[in-house]
Amino acid sequence: MVALIGCNNSSLVIDKLCDEAGEGDTSVMCFYFDFAARNEQSPVNMLGSMLRQFVSGLKKIPEAVVRDFQKQKNGIGGRGLQVPGIMKMFQAIAATKRMFICVDALGECVPEHRMVILESLRQILQGSSNTRLFMTGRPQVRSEVERRLDGVATFISIQPTEDGVIRYLRDKLRKDTTPEIMSNTLEAEIMKLIPEINSETYVETSARERLP
Amino acid sequence: MSQGFSYNNNSFNVANTFNYTASDDESKILAWLSPLEPWVRHRDIGAERVDGIGAWLLETEEFKRWHNAPREDEFNHPTLFCDGNPGVGKSYIM
Repeated sequence: MVALIGCNNSSLVIDKLCDEAGEGDTSVMCFYFDFAARNEQSPVNMLGSMLRQFVSGLKKIPEAVVRDFQKQKNGIGGRGLQVPGIMKMFQAIAATKRMFICVDALGECVPEHRMVILESLRQILQGSSNTRLFMTGRPQVRSEVERRLDGVATFISIQPTEDGVIRYLRDKLRKDTTPEIMSNTLEAEIMKLIPEINSETYVETSARERLP
Repeated sequence: MSQGFSYNNNSFNVANTFNYTASDDESKILAWLSPLEPWVRHRDIGAERVDGIGAWLLETEEFKRWHNAPREDEFNHPTLFCDGNPGVGKSYIM
């Protein structure tokens, strides 16, 4: 048997969602886009993965899923799974349950796939009032998200905070595999200069983004 | 033949953290739905994450409203999108 992973202290938002859901009837699903895996991360595989995670949390695989599986098994060749089929199964089984869908790095999904995936997520949201969608991505995909989800999205800009940079640096220095070549002076310089550089970079980037 | 199988390996569902023996068919059905295993990436990110970074997000009104407010609330959107430039730590926030 492979080791359990569950919700054990491995993320921020997903941990929060899992913790607060407690023993309730809630599903938390996630997906991480990666440009290097763009061929495998097709809409069928991505949406299928969401359904797989949802179904995995149930005591029993729903009849609608088993039926479709049996049907394709009796067919000739291929996996036989298509986006409309996944959506049909989702709609049949997920409407009443509270779901949190978390999607990372939307910008790393190729545009053709992204279009299908956003449309499918829109349909899931439309069909299930208990569903919430959390996504991250580069600012460039923001307008596409707004357009494809009919404008029903809230946006937050993620910026590195000084506290975050300092925590990160401290962690990296603590895990330094060659601490003997680090002097106190160099360490102090790193802790002073990098947060400053980060802050300047952010100001510069923000200013550039505001230019017409 | 049946194999030992934990449903929690495929899901972040918190209501069912039990282990049980699934039939071959159940494992085949799950593999048929998708061969991808995003929980592997989730685990890797979790191992690298520095505690406390990004915690401010959970305290924002936008997050709280998205997480808690009823859908009927006209100001509450079912989608929360966090955008940021490469390297700012978006994946670690999720």
